[in-house]
Amino acid sequence: MNSSQVYLLTRSGGVVKLIATAVIFLLLAGCSANPIYSTTGAVLSGYSEGEATPYVLQMSDPHMACSLGEGIDPLLYSFSRVTDAPDATGSLLMLLAGNCMEYRAWEAELAYLRADFEGNVPAAKDAREEAKRLNAKTAERRLTAFNRAMAAYEFDPAEEPLECPFLFSEQDELTFLLGLLTGMQAIVNDANSGALAGIPRNIAPQAERAAICVDNEKWGGLPNSIRALVWLLLPDTKPPMSPDPWAVLDHSSELGVKKGLRASLALEAVAAETFGRPEVLAETIAQFAASEDKVEVWDDYQLVDEVAAAVIRFSSDKHWTANYGHRTPQSYFGKMSPKRDTDSVETMSLDDLL
Amino acid sequence: MIRKSVAAVALAAVVPVASAKTVSMCVFDVIGVNGDLYNMVKDYALEMKAHGVDFELKPYTDEGVAVGDFNAGQCDAVAATDIRTRPFNRFTGSISAVGALPTYDDLKTLLATLAQPKAAPLMKENGYEVLGIVPVGAGYLFVNDRSIDTAGELAGKRMATLDYQKDAIHMVNYIKATVVPSDITNFAGKFNNGSVDTAYAPAFAYEALELYKGIGKEGGVVDYPLAQLTMQVIARDDVLPDAKAQTAREVAWGMFPQAMNLISGQEAAIPDEKWVKIPEKDIQGYQEMFRQNRLEMRDGLNGAPDVYHPKMLGLLSKIRCASNPASSECTAGNRE
Repeated sequence: MNSSQVYLLTRSGGVVKLIATAVIFLLLAGCSANPIYSTTGAVLSGYSEGEATPYVLQMSDPHMACSLGEGIDPLLYSFSRVTDAPDATGSLLMLLAGNCMEYRAWEAELAYLRADFEGNVPAAKDAREEAKRLNAKTAERRLTAFNRAMAAYEFDPAEEPLECPFLFSEQDELTFLLGLLTGMQAIVNDANSGALAGIPRNIAPQAERAAICVDNEKWGGLPNSIRALVWLLLPDTKPPMSPDPWAVLDHSSELGVKKGLRASLALEAVAAETFGRPEVLAETIAQFAASEDKVEVWDDYQLVDEVAAAVIRFSSDKHWTANYGHRTPQSYFGKMSPKRDTDSVETMSLDDLL
Repeated sequence: MIRKSVAAVALAAVVPVASAKTVSMCVFDVIGVNGDLYNMVKDYALEMKAHGVDFELKPYTDEGVAVGDFNAGQCDAVAATDIRTRPFNRFTGSISAVGALPTYDDLKTLLATLAQPKAAPLMKENGYEVLGIVPVGAGYLFVNDRSIDTAGELAGKRMATLDYQKDAIHMVNYIKATVVPSDITNFAGKFNNGSVDTAYAPAFAYEALELYKGIGKEGGVVDYPLAQLTMQVIARDDVLPDAKAQTAREVAWGMFPQAMNLISGQEAAIPDEKWVKIPEKDIQGYQEMFRQNRLEMRDGLNGAPDVYHPKMLGLLSKIRCASNPASSECTAGNRE
């Protein structure tokens, strides 16, 4: 072996070493991830955010959408083991999965109210217990959705002074806003579960502060509705000189109808129930029912409007079940009692015919 | 025959509803229908339905208004904290006497004792009857500086004090701190923005009202219960017959574990390092100070309001001495 061969060998040995080091480094950096997995993860996350999410947000069937959340979330989010966690999409998927659990809790709640109306205490107790467990599950899912939404935009809701996140697209704004709302809902579910889920209650004041990061008019008054609800819950959080929270909720509801995104109405109904304002609840449900004919739903976010519609319908169903033992009959949606308006209808005299 | 049994079944199905007595109840919860307390009252109401009493619940987020509406006859019963229900029954209203129940075990003994049928006569006062007592959690002192851990260091400090809580005002004056009149809706803000140095509240407030902000890096929560807050259900005496009222109290007592679960969850939300432990020798001093105060407020001495019922103070003292017989108060000449 001549000296040049030796030189080449040692040189190539150096190259081999270099490559080996790089491979080891890459393997370590990828945490033993199969490169195909991480690529698939990146592709799936990108597809979900760019295509699937806008598609789902346009859907008109909240139940199908929520099933999608339950079914797809574990698959999509499992890619967080091999690539960056797909937090933005993950928060929406978990939000939908939370809705599924809540729909089950609603059915249990209605069963409880029905049994209570009938005086069947064991059945009422059973259903109430079931509702509590389902509420706890809903609360847990919603807390996850909230945390993912905050992580997606690297936003620390506890930070003071507040630093609004960069929200690049309309979808980002909505995802962030829904994240805040979902956090608040988690508290409500937790309370209704008998605090089984142990959700941190400071999400409410945090959401109140963060809601200013999103344009109120654009999002049908939803940001201000969130703030007003927190002002009612924690009067301390209400800034001096701000208007009466009930007036804000009212105004936001009108904005929601105009925008075709009636989530603010759902929040007003929840507030009315929470604070025992039956007249506001009746008015809100009536307003929602009346808006059905004239509202032009915001196509891109039809799902949000549909989810809000389900919340209002549940509010109405709870009232009907507690008072009459059954959910709202179809033609009575918007009314709080079976009293018909037929008394005032003008009639003709039959005297000539008799 | 078949028709007869059908009729009997139908009757049996109808009877519980028909015989249920409807009792309207004003229920206080700062968070209304979606609050933890309101939800607990819902469980109580459901349990009572099995005993033929149908409570119709009406939520109130302002305790003063709830009690006001009860006074005005808008509801047959009211569920509110004992600070507000004290005028209806001074005996049970003295459960929250300052420093009188230093442990939850002592509280458990007390509530079990009061739920006995034997205690029934003590549940009636001035035409009102107590239909149940459920713990809400001990009140703790929140401070913005950990060094404020003895009564001496509280002198001169500004303390958010509920303006309708006479015993607290007397206590604050006694330790020569400054009363800053507050209510439930604004005490947290005052503590968090630094306009008061200390505030007292159950653990619930730490997270929900963000009291950790007022605590900051220097402060903490003094790990000694100032008082045991309870929620009490009060009704006009004629609303329920005696046997039903006793059942109601037993049902409420049955909810003790549920309430304690809630409370321990709230207390666990306060991180360990935020609790300010006080040395055993200081605790004895505290206990004696609280005791002197209770005596003053039992007898209306030294300008104290006479708010505490002597019988309740006696019972509380018996419970304390049963769980801690070595305590000096147990041999003191002026035992409560």
